[in-house]
Order: sequence, then structure tokens, then C-alpha cells
Amino acid sequence: MDKENIFEKRESAPKADYVAATGVPLKKPSDVIPQKLLRAQLPLPNLGELDVVRHYSHLAQLNFSVDTHFYPLGSCTMKYNPKINESMARLEGFSAIHPYQSQDAIQGALELIYDFEQLLCEVTGMKRFTFQPSSGAQGELAGMLMIRKYHEIKKRKKTKVIIPDSAHGTNPATASMCGYQTIVIESDSGGLVDIDKLKKVVDDEVAAIMLTNPNTLGLFEERILEIKDIIHNKGGLLYYDGANLNPLLGITKPSLMGFDVIHLNLHKTFSTPHGCGGPGAGAVGVGEILEDFLPVPVVNKKNKSYYFDYAIKRSIGRLKSFYGNFTVLVRAYTYLLRLGKEGLLQTAHNAVINANYIKEKLKDYYEVPYPKTCMHEVVFSCTSQKEKGAAALDIAKRLIDYGIHPPTMYFPLIVKEALMVEPTETESKDTLDYFIKVMKEIDKEIDNDLEKVKDAPHTTPVKRVDEVKAARSPNLKWERTGV
Amino acid sequence: MGELRFAKSHEWARVDNDIITVGITDYAQKELGDIVFVELPKVGDSVQRGSAFGTIESTKTASELYAPVSGKVAEVNSELTSNPQWVNEDPLGRGWMIAIKANDSSELGSLMDEPAYEQFIEKESH
Amino acid sequence: MPYILNTNEEIKQMLKAIGVDSVEELYSALPPEIKLKESLNLPSGLSEFDVKKKVTALSERNKPLEKYNSFLGAGCYDHYIPAAVSFILSRSQFLTAYTPYQSECSQGILQAIYEYQSYICLLTGMDVSNASLFDGASALAEAVLMTLRISRKKRVVISSTIHPEYKETLKTYLSGFDFMIEEFVPKSDGFFDLEKLRDTLRNDVGCVAFQSPNFLGLIEDAEKLSELAKKVQALTVMVTNPLSLAILKDPARSGVDIVCGDGQPLGGSLNFGGPSLGFIATKNENTRQMPGRIVGKTEDKKGDIAYCLTLQTREQHIRREKATSNICSNQSLNAIGAAVYLSLIGSEGLKEVALNSFRNTQYLYQRLKEVRGVKIPFEPRFFNEFVWEVENAPKIMNAFYDKNIIAGYFLGESFPQYKNSILSCCTEKKKKSEIDEMVFSLAEVLRG
Repeated sequence: MDKENIFEKRESAPKADYVAATGVPLKKPSDVIPQKLLRAQLPLPNLGELDVVRHYSHLAQLNFSVDTHFYPLGSCTMKYNPKINESMARLEGFSAIHPYQSQDAIQGALELIYDFEQLLCEVTGMKRFTFQPSSGAQGELAGMLMIRKYHEIKKRKKTKVIIPDSAHGTNPATASMCGYQTIVIESDSGGLVDIDKLKKVVDDEVAAIMLTNPNTLGLFEERILEIKDIIHNKGGLLYYDGANLNPLLGITKPSLMGFDVIHLNLHKTFSTPHGCGGPGAGAVGVGEILEDFLPVPVVNKKNKSYYFDYAIKRSIGRLKSFYGNFTVLVRAYTYLLRLGKEGLLQTAHNAVINANYIKEKLKDYYEVPYPKTCMHEVVFSCTSQKEKGAAALDIAKRLIDYGIHPPTMYFPLIVKEALMVEPTETESKDTLDYFIKVMKEIDKEIDNDLEKVKDAPHTTPVKRVDEVKAARSPNLKWERTGV
Repeated sequence: MGELRFAKSHEWARVDNDIITVGITDYAQKELGDIVFVELPKVGDSVQRGSAFGTIESTKTASELYAPVSGKVAEVNSELTSNPQWVNEDPLGRGWMIAIKANDSSELGSLMDEPAYEQFIEKESH
Repeated sequence: MPYILNTNEEIKQMLKAIGVDSVEELYSALPPEIKLKESLNLPSGLSEFDVKKKVTALSERNKPLEKYNSFLGAGCYDHYIPAAVSFILSRSQFLTAYTPYQSECSQGILQAIYEYQSYICLLTGMDVSNASLFDGASALAEAVLMTLRISRKKRVVISSTIHPEYKETLKTYLSGFDFMIEEFVPKSDGFFDLEKLRDTLRNDVGCVAFQSPNFLGLIEDAEKLSELAKKVQALTVMVTNPLSLAILKDPARSGVDIVCGDGQPLGGSLNFGGPSLGFIATKNENTRQMPGRIVGKTEDKKGDIAYCLTLQTREQHIRREKATSNICSNQSLNAIGAAVYLSLIGSEGLKEVALNSFRNTQYLYQRLKEVRGVKIPFEPRFFNEFVWEVENAPKIMNAFYDKNIIAGYFLGESFPQYKNSILSCCTEKKKKSEIDEMVFSLAEVLRG
């Protein structure tokens, strides 16, 4: 038996009685349901509560997290997740209400959504928001479907979406899901959208451009207003992938850059915890021209009371049952109240200072292929280390031994041996200095003790994992083996 | 054994009358790294010269496989499904992928012979 | 300023190291015309105490479901959640970690998700589950898209007794493609119209999607449905309540190709409808068309058991425009929550929760049947909810509200043909006395 495995811990345990039987007649399913629709056996384990708590507490201890380790994962904005957010999200008045209760019994929830929307409209310059999308990717889908419907109503033939080669993978995948062909536009030598190439490919059939600004190299698209004109002049729209909004809070607004529709990753910029990969929330904001296309419902206010409004003329429909990841909104709202206007600005400033500080201190050790002032993140290229025998992957794995979560690796695709570092504003200079020291140390190790780097990590519960075996002979679920 | 011809997209083709056996080159398998999955067409499917007939995957990449000639798929190496590592171990032998009954074998004329291909990869890797 | 640790002195040092005099210089790439001249028109930040007061006051303007005698279900169910579930999920190393791309420092997350996948397979009888999707609605949409990729056909038949909001989501997801959806209304007995399916199903249909227990609470004959679909090489997608699978035959055994739904009944809070999690599971041959993350068990260099994300070439970060879906994240924390719940409650506990929900619902059904003025349109082949009719249903529901009872979900909302129908649900938390109270109140309301 494999005692580490939840399915093989023990044969049986006394029943825990979480809820007592209620005294109604003990009807059997077979009294009313044909036998052939019923199940013969249910092969789940039976354990004691202590078994389970110990098992998962042990599993928790095997992970790196923001609360325990520096986590400079580029493009993911792994900032500190304030604990007050958690207490607020767990209030019974939020976590224990049903989506189909009558509206007079959920006025607080509706007011929160309404008020949060007003605040985000001010932060971004957008006219309205929907909170239905569960993630950035689902937000992209909502935004691009609105663009699609907008063009349909205008009876314009639109077939293409322009996406820079530095874009997140979700952008082209979303464009495909909306029936558009993706036109990839190469970056220029400075790492920005190549305007001349853009002019050449933009024609009347361009539905939109999807942009992240700052882009995934951490650089601000300086010629954003030219891009806007090129696209708008051909009747196309601008989609803003807001994954990297953090450094611009209070500095500028997506509306001022000319964006028609945007998504914000509340789990990045607005500090809600990532939860091993979700739940997040993708808030989608639109300018006036797309207001009539928002998913239903939105929250409106009439005579001091709030209500769900389903009367959106040209709505693209729903993307989710109910109203979005509501308790994630509670966290983000709490965060925004706590920060206020000054806090947002300081957030942006410190995110940019922290990233540039790392860039400056490490640029002589690790190549910075696009050496301009960066915004919230900096992308290093470990090509010179690779020539000495250690790839970006090896350096990333060695960082684990020093108690640092690896940066994003091999992204963006246009940088060879990329390590993408986003420290976020919540990290202290002390932590950054430690990271800088460790990165220099690893560079030295590559010269003096290459095997140590290539063999890393040494301190983790497992050594490097065989991903080839995992993919060649997939084992995707537990099965009882032997007797 | 027929003669080997090579495509710029790194497939090889072995000509045996009007049956063309296709796989990927040793250079290609090295570039891709450990192959974990190969997706191939069914016998009887039509393939077009220069169009994708399947996909080959390592853990971190997925690449298309391009047909060197147009025709109908006459045979498929279905054992690659459970043994994708054969592409790494023996790309010109057990790692073959499909055999095409060519519509027009003269299409192969545009492919490179072995010395030309070697020159081509020499250039490409620099 | 909360959450920022750099002192003014440190900021000065850092700016100096960067080689600029002020932070504004770092923003010189921005065209001046887009820079804000004034600060945002927002309130100033509040102390933690003041934020707590403000947000708590908002929460108090909501009335938690538990304060009612409630019979609401309709896709979001009020089950008891053992205290240990939220305790485990609050652990920092689950709550504040990211997607486990770096296997070596994420083994606990990966193993927990592998266990979640295993649990979903045990419940559904399927070979493979992914690491979860957003919710039941998007899971249905992704499942249908999957069948269309596999079958390479363009027509979908769906049962109109799928959750109305899932159907709407499906339509939104499919609107970017040139797929056709045909909706089948149920027979008068509330069940899927199998005769119509048999007579009209053509070869160009790639997918037959249905829900069981359906939105009216009725348990469909999944086996018959799958048999008919197979005749035209269409795949079947079944939406289900995973808790019902504790007593109902697993969908794989009924010949279903893809099973999906919302995992909220497995230890998830109501959360005003979200976040929950979507689950999806299928047979081996469809694995490569499955969207989303999947965890696999493998070995490390030393040959010890290890876990990692696998089959990633299906996904957007590698395939980009050719990916199976644009989905990037999942609802890991909720999926781990489902695994923790199932581990705590075990096979005996889960059967008991399912059985007690079933028994309470049967009891409510028996009692309502005896009330004059109540009509029950369908046979009692249900799991935890059923439909009953009463004249002026909306008015009756309001009268119930005045007595602090929520009678259920008003079906007329989304099914015009059931304009006087109420969908009522009982979970294991219902007491006999609460059911009696509801029936007694109804009699009272009806007497006027």
C-alpha cells in the first residue's frame, strides 16, 4: 500500500456523521427509479478526519507560495494577497447567499458589484463593466465576441485579428474561438509593435488588434496612439489585454490609449489570491460603442435599489451561470477601498521601481535584449549562460534551492532562453537584493560548478520530474493495482 | 530500398515505384527533442503536397508534418502511437510515419537529395 | 501605505541605482497626452478597520440562505460543508500559489489535483478528467466544442431541459463558429423525447447533449440516448450533478462519451453562484481533444513518484491559435476543495448525503401531493428536486417569502410552458419539521 496516496491510506474508518438523518421515511431509490439507472457500488475511500487533514496539510507543505516565498513570476503579478480580503470574502452575507434569492435579500451584493464597477470605470476610463468572466481568457472571449457582433451589426466583413508576436498565447487562441484568422505582427528591433509592418497588414478586413501594454517584454508601446489611428481608420477596434495594467494605475487609463474594450485580471492587479491556478476573475470594460453588447445581466440602480438588468439590446449572451466569481469581486473591492487613489499610484510606482532596480543590478550578468527602461517586469536572456552549459531552465530550477520561485521561463517566445521577472510592488528592497545576490551567485556557479546548477533543485521533495515519461505514457488517475 | 529525398520542412521520402514512405529526418528529431506523441492520418485519407498530414509533439512543442507529395495514404505506422520514441531512436527506420500512393511521382523532383539536404541544414543551423 | 514595504529612503537609493532622479522619469516612454494630469477621482484609502466596517455592512444587507426555510436548488445546492474543508483551503501554500508549472516546488498541488481527477473518474466511471474548468456552464460549452472537433460535424442536438443558463452560455461559446444548435423540447412527461430523436437524428449531427437529472429534476435514460446517438456516430454529452452519481449509474457505463457539470455540490460554498468549479471527464480516446490543464503521475530523476502538468501541447501557451481552447487557468482551489470534501466524507458519507437528500425530497413530494390545489405533473423519478404546480405560482412564492420560506425556483422564469410551476429541492440539511412547516404554510396560503 502507498500510504502517501489518499486512496490507499486505510481500508475503512468509523463514519463521521457530519449531518444526522432527519427522521423522514427511509424510502429506497429503487422504489421510484428503475434499477438499471442505479449504481451498484461507489469505490471511494473511507478515512478519518485526522487522516485527511494530515494528508492535505502535508501536501500543502510541499509547495512554494506568495505567503512563503518570493515569487517573481513574470506576467502573473504575484503580489501579496492581503488577509482582510479573505475575511471579507468569507462573511456569511457573501459566501452563503444563493444566486436565485429575491433581489431585496441581496441588495448588499448588488451594491458591491455596482460600486466596484463605478470605481473600475474611473480607474480605466471605461463606460461599463461586466464581471461575468471567470478569468482573463474568458474575458478575452467576451470582449472579442462583442467586437465580432459589433462588426456584424455594422455589416462589415471582418476576418482578421492582429496580434503581436510577443502576445500571451490566450490572444490567438481567443481570436480562433471567435472565428477570426490571426495575423501575427513581428516586433521591431526595440521590442515594440513594428508600425511599418502594421500599416502593411491592416486593411478593411481587420476586426481588431489585441494588445498588452506594457507588452510582455515589460516595455510600454510608445506609439500606441499611432497604432490606434491605424486600426480605427480601417474600422477596426482595439482590445486591451489588461494582464499588465499594474504599473499604469493612476498614471494613464486604457481609454486614453484608445482602447475600446479591455479585460482586467482581478487576480493579478487587484490582489486576489491565485489559488494554485484559480479561481480568478476577468472584469471586462467597454467604451460607449460596445455598451449594448455586454453579457447579461448587469447591475443597475433605480430609486436607491439595485437590480439585475437583462435588457441589453444586442447582448452577446452569457458566459457563465449566475453572475461571475462573486467572492473574488469582494476581495478585489476590499483591496481597492483599502488602497484608494494614493495607494493605486504608489502601487504603480513601486512596481516599476522594483523591476528597473533588478534590471539595473543584473544587466551586467544576464543579457537584457531590450535594454530600455521597463515597466513592471524585465526579461533577461540567458544565452551567454547557455553557451557555458546552463539553460534558462537550469537557472530557474537552481533558484528553487535558494527559496525563490522561478520566473516565467521561455516567454515571450521572441527572446531566446528568456527569464521574465516581475517582482511586484509588495516586495521589499531587501528581498530584491537577496534575489540579485542569488542570481549573481548562480552565474558564478555556472563557471565553477556547472553540474550543481544542471542537477538542481537539490532541496525539493522530488528531483527534476520526467515530463517525457508523463506525456508518453499518461497516468492521469489512480487505479487499484494488485490485490 | 529506394532512393531518399528530403524536404525543406525536414521530412524524408523514400521512393519505391509509386509508393512514397515518409518520416522526419535525424536532424529534425534532434531539434524537436524527446517525441511524446505522433498524430497521423487514416489509411485512405488524401494528402496534399506541402499541406499538413499530421502533428508531432515533444513535451513543449507541437509541429506539423508536411506531405512531400500529393496522393492517398496507403499505410500508416500505427505503432508510433504507443512507441513515439522510435522517431528519436530510428527516424529513418522504425520511426517511419506514412506511405503515400502518389498521384504524380514527378512531384518528388523538387525535393533535395542527401548532399543538398546536408548543405541545407548546415546553413540553417547557422 | 498598506502592502508596500519600501521606505522613502530605500526608494531614493533604488532610483539612484537605476540612474534617474524621480520615478516620473521611468514613465518617459508614455506620450504626454495620455498621462493623467490629476489624480484619479477616487476616495482616499481607508484603514483596515474602516474597510472592514464598510464591507461588513454591505454583507449584512444580504440575507444568508440559512436564515430561511429554503427549498432553492436549480444548479446551486445548500449542502453541509465539513469545517475541515475551508480550513485546508485557507492554507497559504494552496491559497497563494500559482499554477504548478514548476513541478519540483508544487508537488502537493499537483498530487491534490491528481487526486481530484481520480475522484471525478471514480464518480463518473470515465478514464480521464482534467484539472477542472470554470463552472458547469462553460464545462458544457467546452464539452460540446470537443465533440465537434472529434466528429468534425457541425450540428448539435441539445435537450431544452439543460439548465437555462448553461444553454445560454453554450450558445455564446458557439456563436463564433458556424455550428447549428437544435433544441429538443421534452415530452409532456418531462423526459427527453427519445422517439423524436430516433426518427429525426441524421448523420450530420455530431453531438447530443442532455442533462440528467434534468432541470426538471427527472433522471433520464442515458443508455437509450447514447444508443441512439451512436447510430449516427454522434457523441453524447451528459450534464450531471456529481452528487447524484453516489446513487445513480455512472455515465460511462451508460455509454456516455463526455460527462460534465458543476462541482459545487461537492463541498463548495454557495458564493452567490461563484466561484465553483466545472468538471469534465471522458474516455481515453478523446483525451487529446480535452481542453484545460491535466496532471499526470510520473517519476523524478531518481525514480521516485512525482507529478507534473502533462499533455500541454493541447493548450494555448503552446498551440496558440490552434489550441483546443483559450482556457488558461482553472478553478484549482475549488477542485482541491472537492477532493478534500470527498476524502472527508468518504464513500459511506457521500451515499448518505445523496440518500438523505433523496429521501427528504421524496417526503416533500409525498406531502405536497396531498395538498389540494397542488398538481404534480411528472412521475417521482427524481434525485433531489422536482416540479409542482399551483395556481398563481409567483404570488404563492411571495406569500411564502413573507413567512420566511423560499419555496424553490420559479420555472416560469425560463420555461414559459411551465408558468405556474415551482422547482423545489431538498438537501440532507432539511429537517422533517421544516418540510412539514412548508407544507403546512402552503395549505394556509391556499386557504387565503
